[in-house]
Amino acid sequence: MTEKLHPIIEKAGREFADGKLERREFLRLAVLLGVAAPAAYSMVGLAAPALAQGAPKKGGIVRIGMRVQDISSPHTYSWIESANSARQVLDYLTVTGIDNVTRPSLVEKWEASPDLKTWTLHLRKDVTWRKGRKFTADDAVWNLKRVLDDKTGSSVVGLLKGFILTEYDGGEKDAKGAPRKSVKLWDANAIQKVDDFTIKLNGNSANLSIPESLFHYPLLICSPEDGGKFGVGSDGTGAFELVEHEIGKRSVFAATKKAYWGGGPYIDRYEIIDLGDDAAAQVSALASKQVDMIYQGAISTLPTVEKLPHVQVNSVATGYTAVARTHPIKPFDDKRVRQALRYATDNDAVLKGALRGLGKPGEHHHVAPVHPEYADIGYLKQDIAKAKALLAEAGYPNGIDVTIDARPQPDWELLAVQIMVEQWKEAGIRCKINVMPSAQYWANWTKVPFGFTTWAHRPLGTMILGLAYRTGAAWNEANWSNAEFDKLLTEAEGYLDVEKRRAVMAKLERIMLDDGPAVVPVWRAVFNYSDKKIKGYKIHPSIYIDAKDMWIDA
Amino acid sequence: MLRYSAKQLLNMALTLFAVSFLVFALNELSPGDVARKILGPYASESQVDHLTVQMGLDRPAIVRYFEYMGKALTGDFGDSIVFRMPVADLMFDRLGNTLLLAAISFAVIVPLSVVLGVLAGMRERGWFDRTISVFSSMCASIPEFAMGVFLLGIFVVWLGWLPGTSPLRSDSGWAIWMQFVLPVLVVTFYDAGYLIAMVRSSMVEVMRQPYIRTALLKGMSFNRVVSRHALRNALITPFTVILLQLNYLVSGLVVVETLFAYPGFGRMMLEAALAKDIAVIEAGTLIAVSVTMLTQLFGDLGYMALDPRIRV
Repeated sequence: MTEKLHPIIEKAGREFADGKLERREFLRLAVLLGVAAPAAYSMVGLAAPALAQGAPKKGGIVRIGMRVQDISSPHTYSWIESANSARQVLDYLTVTGIDNVTRPSLVEKWEASPDLKTWTLHLRKDVTWRKGRKFTADDAVWNLKRVLDDKTGSSVVGLLKGFILTEYDGGEKDAKGAPRKSVKLWDANAIQKVDDFTIKLNGNSANLSIPESLFHYPLLICSPEDGGKFGVGSDGTGAFELVEHEIGKRSVFAATKKAYWGGGPYIDRYEIIDLGDDAAAQVSALASKQVDMIYQGAISTLPTVEKLPHVQVNSVATGYTAVARTHPIKPFDDKRVRQALRYATDNDAVLKGALRGLGKPGEHHHVAPVHPEYADIGYLKQDIAKAKALLAEAGYPNGIDVTIDARPQPDWELLAVQIMVEQWKEAGIRCKINVMPSAQYWANWTKVPFGFTTWAHRPLGTMILGLAYRTGAAWNEANWSNAEFDKLLTEAEGYLDVEKRRAVMAKLERIMLDDGPAVVPVWRAVFNYSDKKIKGYKIHPSIYIDAKDMWIDA
Repeated sequence: MLRYSAKQLLNMALTLFAVSFLVFALNELSPGDVARKILGPYASESQVDHLTVQMGLDRPAIVRYFEYMGKALTGDFGDSIVFRMPVADLMFDRLGNTLLLAAISFAVIVPLSVVLGVLAGMRERGWFDRTISVFSSMCASIPEFAMGVFLLGIFVVWLGWLPGTSPLRSDSGWAIWMQFVLPVLVVTFYDAGYLIAMVRSSMVEVMRQPYIRTALLKGMSFNRVVSRHALRNALITPFTVILLQLNYLVSGLVVVETLFAYPGFGRMMLEAALAKDIAVIEAGTLIAVSVTMLTQLFGDLGYMALDPRIRV
């Protein structure tokens, strides 16, 4: 390495040598701070994982069974499925791989200032848009400014708010007419174009996970000429072009005629077939080879799929979960009631009953053992007596009557809810289940007072806490607000040293257990199905699917 | 008869008008904000307000209703929110698919039920009657989704003879006619089970009539009695029921369409209703109601043809 290393890497390197820093975490750190992934792998004495399974062959079609949604506004996507459509055409600035390591994409190389407040992003110089224009810093700056603009309504805001945004009173009102704080870039120069291929992000506070945040799924880099809209024929820097899109039916992507800057694609066409929400239809389509892949598997279909000789089950351990979260309204406005809910839950039983044991029991604080800064603060065991006592203390000696909203797909979610509701009954929490179809649930997920919501895997504990529990974040579905939590979270985001972060994380986890709005019953392994002829595909913990790497071994 | 038909058609127009208003009102009363649904849960309030004004949703419901009806009368049914295309195109496509499935199923179900029902009913408690009765009540009592999964297990997963879903595209590796086999089979089993029972009991009743006994006692052959004297009378009651199946076949195929990912009318209506897609819900309901009322009209006219004693 001839280039100067970030001072933190030198320090982390010593920690790694002293055995204080785990190999995986050092690897992730080194890469985040600008060391190229292969070099970082060699620094820790590991071989970089290879996706290659023989030499890729050209040609063929891959058809995947997945919902075909309205995908016209990439920066406000709220579904992984939407992002999995548009990402074939549009690229991200960075890419976090299945190994949790972030690699260059449109950003070729990045550097962080010693205080982690300033990030310099060097863009690739060899990328052109499909319609011929050169990809430059102006394109990237336009996209970054757009996703961070309050008016766009992108969830990237929640992720980068502490780093680069500031709150102000812009006279905005929420739906009920109450004043709402607006956010804007904290400084006019916060997103700075240095030259045609260099950008500086000048943050307000330290943030380690900038390269990972740049891969947040709505942060797709659109052509400014398309004005943030996406559809058939939209320009892109990616390997495919969207040639057909009929919501509820199918989407067709054709490989671009020009060579793709990132290698590939190998297949000629990638098709998304909408099979509806019905798990049985998905397996039927797979069994009769009408699709080659299913976006996500269901527990109920697993036994059948395992019997199909041409299909393989792909699975990976994750921080994927679903949480039963409450709004701060009666009876959940009292934190003792929320605690009672946690004490009344037996996570092991939920894991066994709802997921056939595929995963790990949750610990109610939404930070998973797969997260590097996870702090083991002990496992909260089911304690019915304690739950009852807490309810009585809160003024509900006869228990409470509540209703939880849940959706029928994926099937394990409803099963988990049913199991928990039975457990809660013992503690005097009499809960009705209101099942609503997925589409209806997602239209109301932040509004229902008590609901069971899926949360996708994120590489860092701080990322998930920032998205879901920071005061005012777009996805803070529990409307939860805890000033100390917010302060500690911003502090944790600024620590590079994983041990320091872990120390703060332990405090955050305790706040979640004491005051938090959620029951986090399980960590699940995610899985999906693909035809054995598809090579070059490995399941990503977030089930991000890139067709450009796939090839067909006929 | 002409006067009767005209009167019924006028009746139908009034009913459609009332239904359209009811559907609009119910949709208006059901919770959820349309602009918010379009933009998703994360859009800012200012965007929602902007779109609400842009779509004219801030105006009173009654004004919007009459505006919608005014346009609908000129043939403009608006755009679907979920599917992002003109409702007329969407309906044409999905309804066409469902009518095709319905027509094929109908063409199988009716002859099958009439033949089996008549054969079973003409010799009450014979071995054939008992077999058919058990078979038909079994079919009618197994719900469509259970029957569907059962058949999928056999013909798709185990034998691999038939496609598991029916996107109605020839590039999915299976001929289009093969994609119809399982949906038609499921609908047929479910629906024919019921119809066979209807035809059978009607036939049994007719066969017990004194005039049938008289005909037999005066020496007429059994086959002749059945075909000349019993058949026509036995088919009057099932005729209504058969026509009522048209309603089921047009708007009741939700389960089958979902199970086989069939791009039909029922599945479209389900998704539209979940998303409060009013333009689709209105148009779809009006079509479903029209089908119901038209089949009733045809039913009444058909009665006259079958039974000359009936005058309308």
